Amino acid sequence: MTNSRPPSPSRALAAAVLLVTAGLVRAETSFYQARVAPILDRHCVSCHGPEKQKAKLRLDSFEAVMRGAESGVMVKPGDPRGSELFRRITLPASDEEVMPTDGKPLLSRDEIRIIELWIAGGASASKVVADFPGAPLLSRFKPAEPERAPDWRPRAAEIAALEARFHVRLVPRSQVPTDGLVLRTASSPGRCDDAVLTGLAPIAPLIVEAELARTRITDAGLAAVSGWENLRSIDLTRTAVTAAGVSALSGLKALEVVNLTDTGVDDSGVAPLRALPALRRLWLHGTRVSSGDSGGG
Amino acid sequence: MHPPAHPFAQDVAHCSDHCGEQPTVWDLPNVPPALKREWLSLETRRHFLARGANALSWAGLASLLGGGASRALASTPAPGALRLPHQAPKAKRAIYLFQAGSPSQFETWDYKPALQDMFDKDLPESVRGGQVLTGMTASQARFPIAPSIYKFAQHGHSGHWMSELFPYTARIADDLCILKSVHTEAINHEPAILQITTGNMFPGRPSIGSWLSYGLGAVNEELPAFVVMTSKMPHRTNVQALSNRLWSSGFLSPEHAAVALRAGNDPVLHLGNPPGIDGDVRRAMIDGVNELNRQLFERVGDPETNARIAQYEMAFRMQTSVPELTDFSNEPQSTWDLYGPKAKEPGTFAYNCLMARRLAERGVRFTQIFLRSWDQHTNLPRNIKLMAEESDQPSYALVTDLKRRGLLDETLVIWGGEFGRTCYSQGVLSRENYGRDHHPRCFSMWMAGGGVRPGISYGETDDFSYNIVKDPVHIRDLHATMLHLFGLDHAKFSHKFQGLDQRLTGVLPAQVIDAILA
Repeated sequence: MTNSRPPSPSRALAAAVLLVTAGLVRAETSFYQARVAPILDRHCVSCHGPEKQKAKLRLDSFEAVMRGAESGVMVKPGDPRGSELFRRITLPASDEEVMPTDGKPLLSRDEIRIIELWIAGGASASKVVADFPGAPLLSRFKPAEPERAPDWRPRAAEIAALEARFHVRLVPRSQVPTDGLVLRTASSPGRCDDAVLTGLAPIAPLIVEAELARTRITDAGLAAVSGWENLRSIDLTRTAVTAAGVSALSGLKALEVVNLTDTGVDDSGVAPLRALPALRRLWLHGTRVSSGDSGGG
Repeated sequence: MHPPAHPFAQDVAHCSDHCGEQPTVWDLPNVPPALKREWLSLETRRHFLARGANALSWAGLASLLGGGASRALASTPAPGALRLPHQAPKAKRAIYLFQAGSPSQFETWDYKPALQDMFDKDLPESVRGGQVLTGMTASQARFPIAPSIYKFAQHGHSGHWMSELFPYTARIADDLCILKSVHTEAINHEPAILQITTGNMFPGRPSIGSWLSYGLGAVNEELPAFVVMTSKMPHRTNVQALSNRLWSSGFLSPEHAAVALRAGNDPVLHLGNPPGIDGDVRRAMIDGVNELNRQLFERVGDPETNARIAQYEMAFRMQTSVPELTDFSNEPQSTWDLYGPKAKEPGTFAYNCLMARRLAERGVRFTQIFLRSWDQHTNLPRNIKLMAEESDQPSYALVTDLKRRGLLDETLVIWGGEFGRTCYSQGVLSRENYGRDHHPRCFSMWMAGGGVRPGISYGETDDFSYNIVKDPVHIRDLHATMLHLFGLDHAKFSHKFQGLDQRLTGVLPAQVIDAILA
């Protein structure tokens, strides 16, 4: 969506001048290790590292970076604009010398600025993060979450047909196709009844959240939900479900959140839910459950 | 509408409408014909380009419009077309309790005990650091320090220091994340409110709720994704004007602007059918108007025509959804006990907070409630007490109500104003009375729910709450963090306008505040 053309040198310089006091920093790690090396690892090392050494250049250690390529040094300490490394990553995307090459994503503005600040500051191995006030933080590299559900994309046509047939929405939780779908009924809860839940059986493994508040579902619908193995969260607020019905959820090993606000559920219905292995939240306001305010931990 | 002062002013005022019936550029006096021709050719080009950009959405729309369906979204990507959010969200909804005029941090959430011994001493010049002051205090001969006359105590396991003006909010201390180091560049209300509601001091940018509506769409398509309510004031001093540019969609399609709910029996003006007109007649009328609008779009190609169609459809759906929303008769007595007696009076902050809970229950993405008259340049001790009494119990009630219903985990609640206030008195300082001027360098806000870490405070100011000494939070950082909670990467979430990838957080560095994420 954003156009990641690298900034022109003059723009990069202007941006550097505009730097304000951004993140406060921890003092121990070297700036090279904390900020520069992860960028090189991400964008450069697949061609300039242990596996391939294009142009006889490696960028997988500080020493290798400073040694340079067969054609000469890549980094001139104190002089970003005179450094081949900086020149290559700031060329326009259309330039045939731009790096990374072969249509791989170019460095982001923040990544370029980090490299620029590092070279301008002497391309040091030992300077610490605190020596670069105002340097951008790297976007967080998060370990991939375990898959919540199978990839929904091969079933897109089937999902669209079910949405149209049952007047519900089946919305991907995120861009990650294995993050699962949210069953959404808020636009017309009055049209969502037990037959809808039964009818969603073919794609049930894709559903990780069921927003069923104020719908017309009953215990019979919950019997259908008992097979939704990847369900993490179900909201049954102000529905007609009872203790007998919610016990059908007791086999859902992934279920973390159950909202029973303003339902007729009583103690007998809640006991099996409390035994759910993944349960974190059980909401019981407006029920007849004796320990009515349980939020769970 | 006031009569336009300048010939172009009328065009500007009607830019969200169609110009066919309005005076055109040819009607302007004293403009050379060649210039008029150039203008018109640019106009045509603009329409053509905008139309091209929306051709894809139109293609998507064609598939949505089966049979008699009449949902039109051509100036908006079809639901899901943006493939957002980037990552699974923590917050599905937000409720922003906007305290317009700016509550003093000294009498609310930023406890400064050291000032008690400095009553009427001069603010050290080293603290002020040559800062330019507003015209309201720049001419003062001295800047005498005014300690809070209200007492503070610690509350909850979190040990938040909280003012005695907020006894109810003190009960939810452990649900709150208090930010003490928010800062801005703006020193006057209008630019400051614009900056915190839209990310920019200049009018014309989309507000936070509009961005969320654009990026994530509605959860409940029977209601707007973005709702605004203004509140009755317990007293009126230095009241700032609120205008719809604070909740406008800016350069995004107009259907992403907030619907402002009014107090009273007619929450959305002109929504009810007049006597003798039933729903079928209304439907037929809207279908006819939509058809005319479609023909207009074919002819002129202005994408805002489609926004107009979408708005007619939303109004039609609200004919059913709004009466149900605003009917509080099924609320049990426990609700009134929680929110207080004023919640029964339409338009009060308490009523609006209860409405916000009802909107959250029904899936509205972003609700912004404005409570005005916190601008206490003079008589602060008396007036801030009136405002705190108005704000305290409903804010507590809303958080408590959301929490007990299991909604708080996915509803971000925000409480705060547009800047801070000075530690020195504006005007005469006495033991009983003082005022405080505007102060952009630091102010306090709180957040609860929605994936924010509860029971912590973040950021620190100096002994004078004049400068930030630890963990500054610029408004851009606040916005980046809000978007993050909704699963949106502020750096990637953009809309192309005037040749730029426009973002809520703009182009200067902005950081998600990791430390306050749950």
